[in-house]
Amino acid sequence: MGNILEVRDIHTFIGQFHILQGVSLEAAEGTITAILGRNGAGKTTTLKSILGLTPPRNGKVVFAGQEIQGRPAYEIAAMGIGYVPENRAIFTNLTVAENLKIAERKRGDLDRKANFIFGLFPDLKRLYRLPGGHLSGGQQQMLAIARALVPDNQLLLIDEPSEGLAPIIIQELMEAIRQLSERVTVLLVEQNFQMASRLAKNYVIIDDGRSVRSGAMEDLLRQPEIIRRYLGATI
Amino acid sequence: MKTLITRLPLALGKWKWELAVLAVLVLFPFAAGLTIGKPDALPPEVRGLERLARLTETGPAKFWQGMVIQMLILAVFAISYDLLLGYTGLLSFGHAMFYGTGGYVIGILLKHFHWPWWAALGMVVLVAVLQSLIFGTLSLRVRGVYLAMVTLAFAEFFYILSEAGDFRQYTGADDGLHGIYVHPAISPTDYRLRFYFLTLAFFVVAYLAARRLVNSPTGRVMVAIRENEQRAAMLGYNTFTYKLVALIAAGLLASLAGCFNAVYNLGVTPAVLGVGTTIDVLAMTIVGGVGTMTGPVLGAAIVHLLGYWLNRLFGPIWTLLFGAAFVLIVVFLPYGIVGTVRARSFQWRTGWRRWMQLLGLRRETPVR
Amino acid sequence: MLKQYRATLTFIAIVVFLISVGYAWLGPVRATSAVLSGLTLAALYFLLGAGLSLIFGLMDVLNFAHGIIFMIGAYIGYSLFGNPRLFTNTLPLILMVVAGALVGVYIGRPLRAWEARRRQLPADAPPLRIILSRIAPSVLLALLAVGLLFWGTRGFPLNRLIAFEPTATGGAVPTAQAQEPLSHMAVRLVGMMVAGLLLGPVLVREKRLEARGPFWKTLVVSLILSAVAAIVLWTRDPAERFMLGLSVDVRFVLALLAGAATGALLGVFIETVFIRSFYGRPVTQLVLTLGLMFIGVELVRAIWGKEGRPPMAVPSLFAESCRSPNLIAWLSERCSSIDVLGRAFPTYRLFIILIGLVILIGVWILLRYTRLGMIVRAGVQDSAMVEALGINVRRVFTLVFALGSALAALGGVVAAPFVGVYPDMGGAFQLQAFIAVVIGGMGSYIGTAVGAIILGLARAFGDVLVTGGIPLPWTEQVLRASPAIARASTVLIMAIVLLVRPAGIFGQKE
Repeated sequence: MGNILEVRDIHTFIGQFHILQGVSLEAAEGTITAILGRNGAGKTTTLKSILGLTPPRNGKVVFAGQEIQGRPAYEIAAMGIGYVPENRAIFTNLTVAENLKIAERKRGDLDRKANFIFGLFPDLKRLYRLPGGHLSGGQQQMLAIARALVPDNQLLLIDEPSEGLAPIIIQELMEAIRQLSERVTVLLVEQNFQMASRLAKNYVIIDDGRSVRSGAMEDLLRQPEIIRRYLGATI
Repeated sequence: MKTLITRLPLALGKWKWELAVLAVLVLFPFAAGLTIGKPDALPPEVRGLERLARLTETGPAKFWQGMVIQMLILAVFAISYDLLLGYTGLLSFGHAMFYGTGGYVIGILLKHFHWPWWAALGMVVLVAVLQSLIFGTLSLRVRGVYLAMVTLAFAEFFYILSEAGDFRQYTGADDGLHGIYVHPAISPTDYRLRFYFLTLAFFVVAYLAARRLVNSPTGRVMVAIRENEQRAAMLGYNTFTYKLVALIAAGLLASLAGCFNAVYNLGVTPAVLGVGTTIDVLAMTIVGGVGTMTGPVLGAAIVHLLGYWLNRLFGPIWTLLFGAAFVLIVVFLPYGIVGTVRARSFQWRTGWRRWMQLLGLRRETPVR
Repeated sequence: MLKQYRATLTFIAIVVFLISVGYAWLGPVRATSAVLSGLTLAALYFLLGAGLSLIFGLMDVLNFAHGIIFMIGAYIGYSLFGNPRLFTNTLPLILMVVAGALVGVYIGRPLRAWEARRRQLPADAPPLRIILSRIAPSVLLALLAVGLLFWGTRGFPLNRLIAFEPTATGGAVPTAQAQEPLSHMAVRLVGMMVAGLLLGPVLVREKRLEARGPFWKTLVVSLILSAVAAIVLWTRDPAERFMLGLSVDVRFVLALLAGAATGALLGVFIETVFIRSFYGRPVTQLVLTLGLMFIGVELVRAIWGKEGRPPMAVPSLFAESCRSPNLIAWLSERCSSIDVLGRAFPTYRLFIILIGLVILIGVWILLRYTRLGMIVRAGVQDSAMVEALGINVRRVFTLVFALGSALAALGGVVAAPFVGVYPDMGGAFQLQAFIAVVIGGMGSYIGTAVGAIILGLARAFGDVLVTGGIPLPWTEQVLRASPAIARASTVLIMAIVLLVRPAGIFGQKE
């Protein structure tokens, strides 16, 4: 299978700060690719640069065969990229139903996907009429992922889904992400190396705004010194 | 004594631009008197220095002296505003309040209560400090756009009061307060030269005081607040107090400038308290360069001249054109003249050298 | 539970307090009319505040020019209602500038491309050359355009056109003498069009506007606009007779529509030209809108004069000079006032309250039950996330700006028969709307309504108290003052709210 997304040597500035200084990565269709790295290495900025929320100044982003860098974020998203930001930015003053409905790009998107979504996250069906602010952290995270599944997205950018959640809920989320990755390609930013290593097929390590290593996750697992050096984690 | 003599050239070097400007300002009325004054208006028996002094008060020379007086007053007003906007990062839309209140206080005290000038001036200071204390404690509780809105509302409060018929016997309501009594020795109509130097002295003192403030440790905390208020607070500074200090300093300077304005015009109108005045001071500060000492001074001169020429060229619609010019300046010159020059000066200097080389006026390659 | 309804309870407590103090002080009869007056003011404050609050909530822009839109709406409605020749003579000129600019925008595109293809100047090129290549073309074009605008409007008989009613200073001027001959006007039209053509490239070059869509579509739109301009001008005399021949009611509705439409267009203009390129730079936006506020007042003064105009005529439903005993009788008698506990109350003010209520509910439904409303509510919280969902949030921004401005302008037209029109009305009403919004909580729609009601009631009671006289305790004296004092004292209400709860009753914590 080909790559649905290819990022070639992007440089992103936020204000005067040169945050990304050359990030390249690719996401093979139908797989989960994990973006790893320490806090502040530029993982979140990479996702935002792909989506155009912080447009890269140099470099190329190719999605489904088209160059998308420099286009407005809403156009890029509408091409079929779903975004699940960190801190699960759901709309707390909207109900669960509205949170899902707002993501529709065509009429009836939600109805068509309802079975799939509620199959993954049965809780949401129960909470359907509640304001998003009344949900627990885990439920909000599920809602944020569900929201990205409503339209026909080919790629999901998921940022730190496990942050601040109880282990048992992380398990549930992992299972959900594994299941949904059968339908869409996933680019996953994750601090929790355990979780990332179990889910992802491929990995990219970002350090100091540069992509320093990439490859198959099983190869990485055989190189504990790399993990220690770039991630500070042990297996 | 010896250290003073050895240090003098150094100090002169450090202040060379300020001193040059001061020299120009001191000589200006005489130069104007000699060039555009009307010698025929003076009786021939007046001779020597007296003639020179009297010459400055004839014809266009007197008018242009008045223009510079107004520029100097506005420059102090703009400097005071820059203390807030440029150095502390507080966007206040209520600065006209201080300027106008200063004018009204001195006007009412001089005209209706016949206070001596020093007592009236003291009262202006007192009122300004009190006013900025109250205004500050209330409005500094909010930030950003809220601050802009709240300050505008407070200024409108005073504007409405100045226009209200209830205080007509003191403020003159919508006609304004006219016929302020000023001691004849410094009357801006009869002895304009004296008033000119009085204003110049005021301007110099105000400039030095403001400069002293921004270069002091307090001033550095103010800048820290502008850059990042949370960080300044985290470093242990009570940011509220520092903002209040900035506001009091700015309010005081603006009130005194308003005082001079009232005395020079021998009157105040509600318009001085209106939004137009705030626009004026914003324009001056932005044109010159926010966050610099020289910017507001330059801006005051430019904006005042611009207003004058627009008025001469276009008549009553000049205010409309002035507003349009203001908007264009904000859009196209957000860093002001001084700010732009500073940002570009290195670029421009190297560019200038290349240009000179191209013309063959300069042979050696530039250093670095 | 108590915490959840704290805001609502606070609101009810304040209103109950205000009303009971009012009743205790004034007695039921005077207090009831004061409450109704208060609600009238509240409706107007709400119409102005709703847009302010929505725009602030969604885009973090505090629009200081909002009161100006209110005022211009009022003036436009007022003029269309009573002086249609002003429109038949000026509208074509404005349309031609727009038509020209639309085509001009497409001239700007190849111009910019051509400039980009030329050799880039090095950063250390001589300063003069940098300045010249950067701004000289824009300045040159803009100067030419502005010069043409001046030339094209030189000697335009605006003063004569304005002098329609006998109330105008210097008396009325008959239409035949007020208007210029068509041949003159035709020359002006051409001048305006060329000025627009020159302005277009400037706007593109300075990144204020972007050419979108195929050229022929814009050309067609531009041609249609020019044709409309020509037709309006050609038929100006029959159009004026027709307009003045219409009934007061129809003209009133037309005035409402024209005012709201002007407001919407002004909103779009302000957002696209001044606000859009400065998102993320709130200080610049604030200073800009303050500048626009200043320009607006001066513009109205330059066009309509410094003096205000008396209140506009009311629709026939409120016109008969009599007093109806109750609402049902009023519907058949069409009296200008109605009996409220033995006191007369103007019926038109009830209509203002009704309009306020209708808009309140209408916009609430829009926000609650439509997709646009959902996007707005989501955008108030996190507009970047809305954009990341694939929604063109910038277009929603423009739309909301237009909607808020239309509401303000509508409020202005509704207010015209109540308070008349005068150049300070924008600032005066905006100040009160600001205070209402601060009381209710910026960015909260319900909060705006609540703040408007509280402030309206406070103002009404304040007016009655201040003008009627407050007996000073322990003395025989009565403190009397002008309504201006009541107007100024609302600032004190805002001060109290800020001290107690800076975010307002319904506002979220900062």
